Amino acid sequence: MFNINMTLIAQIINFLILMFILAKFAYKPLLQMMEARRSQIVANMEAAESDKLAAAKLREEYEQQLADAREQAQQILERANKLATETQESMLRQAREEHERLLKSAQDQIERERQKALADLRGEVVSLSMLAAAKIVGRNMDSEADVKLVREFVEKLDDASGNRPC
Amino acid sequence: MEFVHYGAREIFGGMTVNVNTLLITWLVMAIVFAIVMLATRNLQMIPGGAQNVLEAVIDFLTDLMDKNMGKEGRFMAPFIITLFLFLLVSNELGMVPGLASPTNDINTTLGMAVMVVLSVHILGCRQKGFFHHMSHFVKPHPLFLPINIIEEVSKPMTLAFRLFGNILAGEILLVVLGVLVPFVIPTAWLAFSFVVGILQALIFSILSMSYLSNAFKSGH
Repeated sequence: MFNINMTLIAQIINFLILMFILAKFAYKPLLQMMEARRSQIVANMEAAESDKLAAAKLREEYEQQLADAREQAQQILERANKLATETQESMLRQAREEHERLLKSAQDQIERERQKALADLRGEVVSLSMLAAAKIVGRNMDSEADVKLVREFVEKLDDASGNRPC
Repeated sequence: MEFVHYGAREIFGGMTVNVNTLLITWLVMAIVFAIVMLATRNLQMIPGGAQNVLEAVIDFLTDLMDKNMGKEGRFMAPFIITLFLFLLVSNELGMVPGLASPTNDINTTLGMAVMVVLSVHILGCRQKGFFHHMSHFVKPHPLFLPINIIEEVSKPMTLAFRLFGNILAGEILLVVLGVLVPFVIPTAWLAFSFVVGILQALIFSILSMSYLSNAFKSGH
């Protein structure tokens, strides 16, 4: 059962023949194919990794831009609000000024009218007084001296120190 | 009672060969060749079917080789792959009724083992130079020379007898069990032998790698 003979050498030769045939026709192309696949997978994974990094960078950029845009919009809104407030205030101020000016001019006009009315009244009083005095005195009081006299009298009525006769 | 017949016959010049072993070995060679050719007939970048299976086996073995021998041992891949496939088909062919494994013959297993150990020394001399490689026999001290020689001789012996013993014992036990208990148990033993065949082929290949790795290491 343990007789070692030439079969040992024959088996080694058999094995070597098989190995060389397979190495030449099968293993070489197969191992090359496996190596090519490995390198392709590695290259693909590296490409995917770099793509991922680029995408992340792009996304970050876009997010930054979006944030900037939002901030700018906020600024524009604030500026518009401020402008609106300022415009409102200035319009209000103008309106108030206009109102005051109109009021003052109206008051002035009223004052002027009143003065004019007073002067008219004063003339009327003078001529009425003259008429009344002429009736009382019995003669015409239309000379220069009479008019002057009555006017002085009437003006004394307005005097603040007022030694009013009546 | 003789369980195995190697068909020993004298051929020209008084040389004896085991004809049965040689015939079954040629069948194994044909099967291995057919399997590998079938798998690599139409190589695809995206593998499928037989190519996928063979690539898984090769990937497994080359991975082990890289771990044992490093990248510089890569060129030995065809050797290890063929060794594994040859032994695997040899071991499993014994499961077929009427056939016997070539590995139940000590000539086959010892032949493979001697070839592996010779490869170690040939590669070692090629990689590191004759004197540097042989200097390992007198390390760490010249007194260790006998021990180193015994170790070097025991390597192919253990490698050969482990495989031979497992396969031969498996086949003998299968016959004996078949005679003693005709059902169930021989079948169970057949299944077990199937696993043993794979394992022994793998063990032989891995130990060969580990021996071959000595040819690539400089300091040990």
